[in-house]
Amino acid sequence: MDIRLLHPSDIPHVQHANITNLPENYFMKYYLYHALSWPQLSYVAVDVSRPKKSPYDYPRIVGYVLAKMEEDPPDGVQHGHITSLSVMRTHRRLGIAEKLMRQSQRAMVETFGAQYVSLHVRVSNNAALRLYRDTLGFKNEKIESKYYADGEDAYNMKLDLGFVREQVMDEQDEEAEDADEGEPVGQLGKQEEGDAGKDKEKKRKVRVGRGLGVGDLVEKNESQKV
Amino acid sequence: MPQLLSAKEQSLFRTVVRNYEDKQYKKGIKAADQILKKNPKHGDTLAMKALIMNSQGKTDEAFALAKVALQCDMKSHVCWHVYGLLYRAVKNFEEAIKAYKFALRLEPDSQQIQRDLALLQVQMRDYQGYLVSRKAMLTARSGMRQNWTALAVAHHLIGDFAEAEGVLTTYEETLKNPPAKTDFENSEAVMYKNTLIAEQGNYQKALDHLESAGKHNLDRLAVLELRATYLAKLGRKDQAEKAYRALIDRNSEHKEYYDDLIEVMGIASTDHKAMKAIYDEYAEKYPRCDAARRLPLNFLEGDEFRDVAEKYIHRMLDKGVPSTFANLKHLYASSSKKETLPALVRQYIDSGKSEANEEPKRHGDTSKGASAAYYFLAQHYSYHLSRDLDKAMEYIDKAIELEPESVDFYMTKARIWKHYGNTQKASETMEHARTLDTRDRHINTKTAKYQLRNNETEAAIKTMGLFTRAETPGGPLADLHDMQCVWYLTEDGQSHVRQGHIGLALKRFTAIYNIFDVWQEDQFDFHSFSLRKGQIRAYIDMIKWEDRLREHPFYSRAALSAIEVYLKMHDKPITNGANGTADVNGEDAAERKRAAKKARKEAQKAEREALAKKNEPNKSTKEGDNDPKKKDDDPDGAKLAATTEPINDAMKFLTPLLQFSPKSIDAQLAGFEVYIRRKKYILALRCLLAAAGLDREHSKVHQQIIRFKLAVDKDLETLAPQVAEVIKSEFNLLPASVSLTQYNDEYLSKNKDCARRTLAALSARKLLSPESSPNFEKDAMATLKLPGTTFEEAKEGLELLLSWNSGQVDAFRSSAAEKWPKATIFASPSA
Ligand SMILES: CC(C)(COP(=O)(O)OP(=O)(O)OC[C@H]1O[C@@H](n2cnc3c(N)ncnc32)[C@H](O)[C@@H]1OP(=O)(O)O)[C@@H](O)C(=O)NCCC(=O)NCCS
Repeated sequence: MDIRLLHPSDIPHVQHANITNLPENYFMKYYLYHALSWPQLSYVAVDVSRPKKSPYDYPRIVGYVLAKMEEDPPDGVQHGHITSLSVMRTHRRLGIAEKLMRQSQRAMVETFGAQYVSLHVRVSNNAALRLYRDTLGFKNEKIESKYYADGEDAYNMKLDLGFVREQVMDEQDEEAEDADEGEPVGQLGKQEEGDAGKDKEKKRKVRVGRGLGVGDLVEKNESQKV
Repeated sequence: MPQLLSAKEQSLFRTVVRNYEDKQYKKGIKAADQILKKNPKHGDTLAMKALIMNSQGKTDEAFALAKVALQCDMKSHVCWHVYGLLYRAVKNFEEAIKAYKFALRLEPDSQQIQRDLALLQVQMRDYQGYLVSRKAMLTARSGMRQNWTALAVAHHLIGDFAEAEGVLTTYEETLKNPPAKTDFENSEAVMYKNTLIAEQGNYQKALDHLESAGKHNLDRLAVLELRATYLAKLGRKDQAEKAYRALIDRNSEHKEYYDDLIEVMGIASTDHKAMKAIYDEYAEKYPRCDAARRLPLNFLEGDEFRDVAEKYIHRMLDKGVPSTFANLKHLYASSSKKETLPALVRQYIDSGKSEANEEPKRHGDTSKGASAAYYFLAQHYSYHLSRDLDKAMEYIDKAIELEPESVDFYMTKARIWKHYGNTQKASETMEHARTLDTRDRHINTKTAKYQLRNNETEAAIKTMGLFTRAETPGGPLADLHDMQCVWYLTEDGQSHVRQGHIGLALKRFTAIYNIFDVWQEDQFDFHSFSLRKGQIRAYIDMIKWEDRLREHPFYSRAALSAIEVYLKMHDKPITNGANGTADVNGEDAAERKRAAKKARKEAQKAEREALAKKNEPNKSTKEGDNDPKKKDDDPDGAKLAATTEPINDAMKFLTPLLQFSPKSIDAQLAGFEVYIRRKKYILALRCLLAAAGLDREHSKVHQQIIRFKLAVDKDLETLAPQVAEVIKSEFNLLPASVSLTQYNDEYLSKNKDCARRTLAALSARKLLSPESSPNFEKDAMATLKLPGTTFEEAKEGLELLLSWNSGQVDAFRSSAAEKWPKATIFASPSA
């Protein structure tokens, strides 16, 4: 299965995968809200080898991760959050969920300077717990009692993304070295090369930008004021 | 002449505005009334009162009052603005734009009106108007980056990339200090500008820009991808190769990266060895990577294919990956691969290799080794390109014997029953699978779907109810509507069609139509939100997608189903439908008669209640609730089913279908059916020509050509000369010197091995010479004997005989039942 970024045109099928697999569902606008606020963070797994049935065939989504950054985090620490993750039963145990998560985690660090990522999972969801804890290295933060609509408790889990940050920085070091050896890449490119070391330092403190009152998006009718 | 307010009243007026903004509607009305007591013709107050009433859900009264307000004060921008807002609330965006424009003419400096206007213009894709608005907004506040970006977006949407780029550059030049590298808004603006440069085809410039301004951009993936693309386009192969390798290192499951890498390396698509080497390299580097192991199967042939496929299959079966078959079935397009794959699986079983696998088994999980291999073979024989259902059943039973708790195995068994045409057994088997893992919604979903396919609509909603939110008022069905569960509404609708519940069927299809309206409306808030958030590329993506929203198969499927229902209603109108026979259509008609009666009664009741409510103000809407949920006054679709103009109603579904999916043959065929009934011959012809352009030999195209000719000939006298002229010059689908009968016979003899086309030709023949009926029926029966006939085609044959009121229906049914003994659909209705 092909793993790639989620595009807005994928949303109907992502919504379909979600309501097929999970009891926590959202209307289209909420997916749009993710895709248009943090377009780097949500990924899909699609079946690209399936022959098209019509000129208007949309790629079938067999798995997705819908992710966001916490807006105005209470602890002041930038961090990501997994809103939803699922894989169609027919495509489970292929490593899809793991790969989707890793792509998203990396983008959280690169683009939004996330320090950690959090999520909720049902205490009874063994498959997901194995994935998060054993495969991805999440830790149990606490239990949230009756978190789900049907009364089930949730584990609040967290993964420190320090290791991703290290990895990203290593790669950038390598790149900088490569660039020194490589051919010149245009006037401006050359000037910037000297800065690579400094930037690496700055990268550690990426800020997301000011909060934008997204609550407005869902609740308030934009044009109500006269 | 507008009335003037005293100072005290002016302050009261400000209170009204504030109350409105704070959603204190009752207070607002009270304050407004206080002003109006002394100044009954104060336009602005009347307008504000109207606006508040609208928020309370009293739309009609609000409109009436807003009109009065305008009559009192035509020169008030407030009155016009409110008028616009009311139109916007009922989604009449054209009228809203007009009203805003009036308001703006009266108050050119109002930021608020300008903004509301701009938002509507972009929503309505009035890009020229949007451009004018954004220019004005930039002039008014040029310090805000958003306003520059928005102007660039306006140029971009018009298609003027250079202008858009220029606007962004102008803004950059106003900056005294370069923004911080961590400034997200700037980071995105740089990438946006970069894509604008590339859209103009100037890849060198785009690359230079990317490597300078974009060098440390926060959107790393975009930088890496774009850089690779530009390098490839510029022919800088070595660097492009490196760039694609870096991308594969990031994500080794993306096919495009491998394709592009192979291309920039100059490897010929015939050089399998070199291609294979690339994939091997990554398979080794990434032990958990699937793509690098699987993709070579696409191009390898013969022994090479065999070796690689063997390794792949063993690995998957050892691990017990349930999706092994799903991952490989696209290879079945090649007949030799179709042979090789199951042979490898059989070898795997015979070699006893499967036994060596001793991983512990998990509850409800697909198992490994032998059962996984049997499972693969079951899917193989169930697949349409390699179907042998008896064998499929044999293998799935073997798998189940090894693992009686496997959900996946029972799911496949249910599918096999479905392919047999036995919806009953399919549904029962899926239900059994569900009980094996009641906590998994996926299997729950499948069960509901199979129940719907078996027309167990009540059971299906109960099944769904096990996972919908319990607290939603209105129960599971309401939750599925709220959550826009398109698949369920579609399947439920189609199930109702099969059961002759016209009203409920139309109700569901209309719900999907409405969901698409909501999806279109959903973009509205993002016109401002995305500018604030600074995510421009994603926003543009969304706009482009929304522009073709209704081409989505989720829409077409529901629309086609709705149109089919309306066509049937038109052909068997209520008044003369019931002809005493107990056939399906007779039941339809009776059902609809009842529905019509019920709808009339309900309409009367609703009227009475509305009247009663008038004496009881504010009863139905809660204070502070700015979106009063309207109670559904037609929950069973009785009103929809009671329509006297089904063909007009069908147009609602057809228009977007033809507009957005013109290349869908089903859309064009449906268009023909609607237009021919409306005697819109030119439009019908356009659809027919389009359909013929897509598939000249399609059974329905053939039929429609003949029906078109017959219809036009019959109405020749009454056709307007211009229409006749157009038809004459454009209808070129029939050879000149051949009679229709001959034409039809030729099609029949050319397609005598295809049941569906034979049936189409027979149905056409019946139209051409209705007398010779026994022959038709015999010929229709004969299609059952054709080796390639599927039970779906046989079902169409049965429906054709039913439509002829043929005496052979029972005979047809019983010989079909003989040929497909496991199928439920041919069992006689009395049995
Ligand atoms: C949880 C879920 C997303 C996992 O998706 P997946 O693509 O099958 O997972 P992966 O193949 O990436 O699994 C990675 C690892 O997770 C663990 N894991 C996944 N499914 C497991 C299962 N059923 N039992 C035990 N471990 C499991 C394994 O360690 C696995 O590695 P392995 O296959 O090498 O042993 C999927 O089961 C699902 O969609 N479930 C329903 C929806 C859901 O519960 N979502 C999570 C909500 S918080």
